[in-house]
Amino acid sequence: MKRRHVAALVLAAAPFLLGACGTAADKAPVPAATAVQTQNVKNVSEITAGKTFNDNDVMFLQMLIDNQRQGQEMAQIAAERAGRPEVADLAKAVQVTQADEIRLMEGWLTEWGKPTTLDERVSLHADHGGMPSTGKEEIASLKTVDEKRFETAFLNLFLAHQHNAVEFAQMELDKGGNELAKSFAERVKQSRTDQVQQMLKLLAG
Amino acid sequence: MRRKIAYPLATLGMVASSLTVASSPALAHGYVSSPPSRQALCAAGTVSGCGAIQFEPQSVEAPKGSKQCNGGNAAFPELNDESRNWPATTVGKSATFNWVLTARHRTATWVYYVDGTAVATFDDKNAIPAASVSHTVDLSKFSGRKTVLAVWNIGDTAAAFYNCVDVNIGGSGSTTPTTAPTTTAPTKAPTTSPTTAPTTAPATTAPATTAPTTTATAAPTGTAPASGTEWAPGVAYQAGDKVTFGGVTYQCRQAHKSIRSWEPSVWTLALWLPL
Repeated sequence: MKRRHVAALVLAAAPFLLGACGTAADKAPVPAATAVQTQNVKNVSEITAGKTFNDNDVMFLQMLIDNQRQGQEMAQIAAERAGRPEVADLAKAVQVTQADEIRLMEGWLTEWGKPTTLDERVSLHADHGGMPSTGKEEIASLKTVDEKRFETAFLNLFLAHQHNAVEFAQMELDKGGNELAKSFAERVKQSRTDQVQQMLKLLAG
Repeated sequence: MRRKIAYPLATLGMVASSLTVASSPALAHGYVSSPPSRQALCAAGTVSGCGAIQFEPQSVEAPKGSKQCNGGNAAFPELNDESRNWPATTVGKSATFNWVLTARHRTATWVYYVDGTAVATFDDKNAIPAASVSHTVDLSKFSGRKTVLAVWNIGDTAAAFYNCVDVNIGGSGSTTPTTAPTTTAPTKAPTTSPTTAPTTAPATTAPATTAPTTTATAAPTGTAPASGTEWAPGVAYQAGDKVTFGGVTYQCRQAHKSIRSWEPSVWTLALWLPL
């Protein structure tokens, strides 16, 4: 079951990897579906995804939840260790927004009767030996790295982490079946792309 | 330790066979983030009009052996375009190059070239890269503006990842890179380094009123929020700041610099409380 998911996933990723990002949301507004379906909702956990979904939707949510659980750990370390307030604020803002996103995604998977955890963490590039960008060791290294090197280490690791989230989101946009999940993927792609911009500028100066 | 996350062979087999069918040439895995490579400058929005590389700076993959900025990857011709006046980063007699890796591939070597000659080679002997990859390269034989070609040679495939990093060698002698405000940069390169750091710090003490009036140059970013104004991206909001969005007033709950998808809505209640 899981294995079939993985294979489908990598196939799904191929069009994106071929360069489908040329059309990536430059300044695209938030998809209309988002606004319509959430008009009378007071809390993110009240947003339900609906009954139509496919394997890609499930895989996307499972992978992104895993990605964001790791992200919570990394952001927490940065909130404590970052020297510049801009870096700490970015980490804290990511932490609080992604905590809500995790609740949202877990709700949808539960609604669909699917597990909210991954059996195994696989890189989209596993076909030629690519390990995922972030593992236990990488996260642990943020706790021990020299204070002077901390921001550089964190930003580089978290850049890769958020690039991965963009890759997952693009895969969902290409192959997902659930409209709300795809609309959420567009938000993920936008927010992470813009976080990447902020982080690269923070690295430069 | 990391090897414990072993991939079941069955999975790998399936993945491999499905990929042969799909055969994708452009896979995404890594780039030099600082001093910023050309693709990093594009992804940061510091240089505009870069094409697809803006969204996937980690994708400059091509067969080993190229000396071109795009490694010969035809999808990213902008990276070879010298007429763009790529902003150069001032470095000392040596520079430390930092990498972002979106997938950790077994690595043969990391090689740095100046004027077509290898000036430093780091042999990883086919190991998986460490959590944080950075290399300090001696550049004392050079001075002035140079383009460093940084290449990541993958250990178990025929591929490499290419980066051109434009530097101005022989500045202060420090290895800490600072963005050079000298070049006639295409868009708004010079504004980045001086503005961002100093502006936000004082804003914490005096959120709305005495907020520093930032540069008049940076068009979409950097202006301090006045309470009750319309939400906008690129603004450093402090907790307590008020904005309007879609006719509703919101109060900021967590300091942040605003971006797309972080506008006030039910999706971002952690950042914005409707009043």
